[in-house]
Amino acid sequence: MLLKNTYNEFIKIVSKPRSYLGFGALTLLISIIIFAMKADGESIVSFVTASFEQTLSFNGKLVNGNLIAFIILQMLVVHIPLLVALVTGDLISGEAAMGTIRMLASKPISRTQIVLSKFIAGAIYTLLITIWLGVLSLLVSHWVFGSGDLIVLNSDGLVILPEADILWRFGLGFCVAYLALMTVATLSICLSAFAENSIGPIVATMAIIIVFTIIGTLDVTVFDTIKPYLFTTHMASWRSFFEDPIPYDDIIQSIIVLIVHIVVLIAITLYKFNKKDITS
Amino acid sequence: MKNTLLLSFLFLAFGSFSQTAQSVLDKINKKYAEIKDYTVDAKVTADIPMIKILPSNVKIYFKQKDKFKIESKGIVILPKQGFTELNNFLANKSKYTAVFGDSLVIRTVQTRLINIIPNESNGEIILAKIWVDQENMVIMRSQITTQTNGTVKIDYTYGDQLKKGLPSVMKFEIDVKKFKMPKSVASDINKSSKDPKKEKEKKRTKGTITITLSNYKVNTGLSDAVFKEKKK
Repeated sequence: MLLKNTYNEFIKIVSKPRSYLGFGALTLLISIIIFAMKADGESIVSFVTASFEQTLSFNGKLVNGNLIAFIILQMLVVHIPLLVALVTGDLISGEAAMGTIRMLASKPISRTQIVLSKFIAGAIYTLLITIWLGVLSLLVSHWVFGSGDLIVLNSDGLVILPEADILWRFGLGFCVAYLALMTVATLSICLSAFAENSIGPIVATMAIIIVFTIIGTLDVTVFDTIKPYLFTTHMASWRSFFEDPIPYDDIIQSIIVLIVHIVVLIAITLYKFNKKDITS
Repeated sequence: MKNTLLLSFLFLAFGSFSQTAQSVLDKINKKYAEIKDYTVDAKVTADIPMIKILPSNVKIYFKQKDKFKIESKGIVILPKQGFTELNNFLANKSKYTAVFGDSLVIRTVQTRLINIIPNESNGEIILAKIWVDQENMVIMRSQITTQTNGTVKIDYTYGDQLKKGLPSVMKFEIDVKKFKMPKSVASDINKSSKDPKKEKEKKRTKGTITITLSNYKVNTGLSDAVFKEKKK
């Protein structure tokens, strides 16, 4: 019954026009980024290497498909949560707003299974968005720019990774990015259980992400104790796969924090939805 | 007999002091001028603060007077200067004054310092110091201070191309100014490194690039077309 209901929930997602907004927006944004990098990629890269150019020269193909894919991921990972929340934030509250929640609850399926099926359907949608992001950023970038070594800039300096050592990093990076997006999806589903309309959970999800991100960005010691527990602190941990050496301990810690968030948020959603008064 | 000894002494004394700094440079320049072109395989190993890069293999092409090209499959970091600038500068005698300095033993080789002071104040090179192995007439070490690129120190090691004056290893020591990227540029907003090792690394201002050269092909009549290819 859970699988059948999951299928139904996924059909509901697919039948909503807003579900395609994410794919459309991603396609448009990535096309714009690729066009911009094709037109002026060299100057963008020289902005990164400028600090060293006084004494060093960088030879080889700096602007390549791997760099573009990395830049795309870096730029969009901030915005994709909105695209995900746009769909997942509507999963429960949308039913409440339309009044179909009562009909849904009258089916021979427990409320827990209803929530879980919505969660699984949301997870599949998030996975599709992540795969679409990966296909566009990696395949199209490689097709347009070709392959090459990856030059990565982080707060500790530059890391130059050889071409043969990159693809698996992207693979694992996408897995962690998916987990981060899943946390956002679960948060919006959880907020959706508390709301009676769609806009509230979507806006609330983005507001939480923005507030947590700002707290994480501020170099103020008073926030140091809470920063490690904010899921936004760990949303960019996919980048850690592009460091050398890879900080596996940090990545594992991030994965644990994200999974704990997902589990707790699902538990809250289940509790709330099971207690929810759908008669009024 | 006394006259013969006196003449011998004067001859020896004159002989030993007659070699001026400029004449040493002339011999080095002559040796360098005999190399019309070369190609060489190189392994580049960089140890630069705040940059992590694996050693890479490149092919270097050179043709007199200043045609220089590096061919690499991946990204390679090289010093901005130090390959042809010094030799080109030394080739033009009117541009500098050469003065002998101290002697120094570099890796068991007795060398003599030659200070090269530019005659013009507006040139790129402010001061160059070279330590010369006068027996083989090769530069063992150079230290070039320029207007825009700071100071670059290069240590040369010679192998089978010693007679031609072509090094087998060039070790560049480079001044790298402190590098700190803003978080927003790095997009690493939630990460603030407090690792003491990384903090120490950030404070380091000198880096080294070691270029190991092998498989020289000298004076093969390298075509100009090789250098016309668009730099990747």
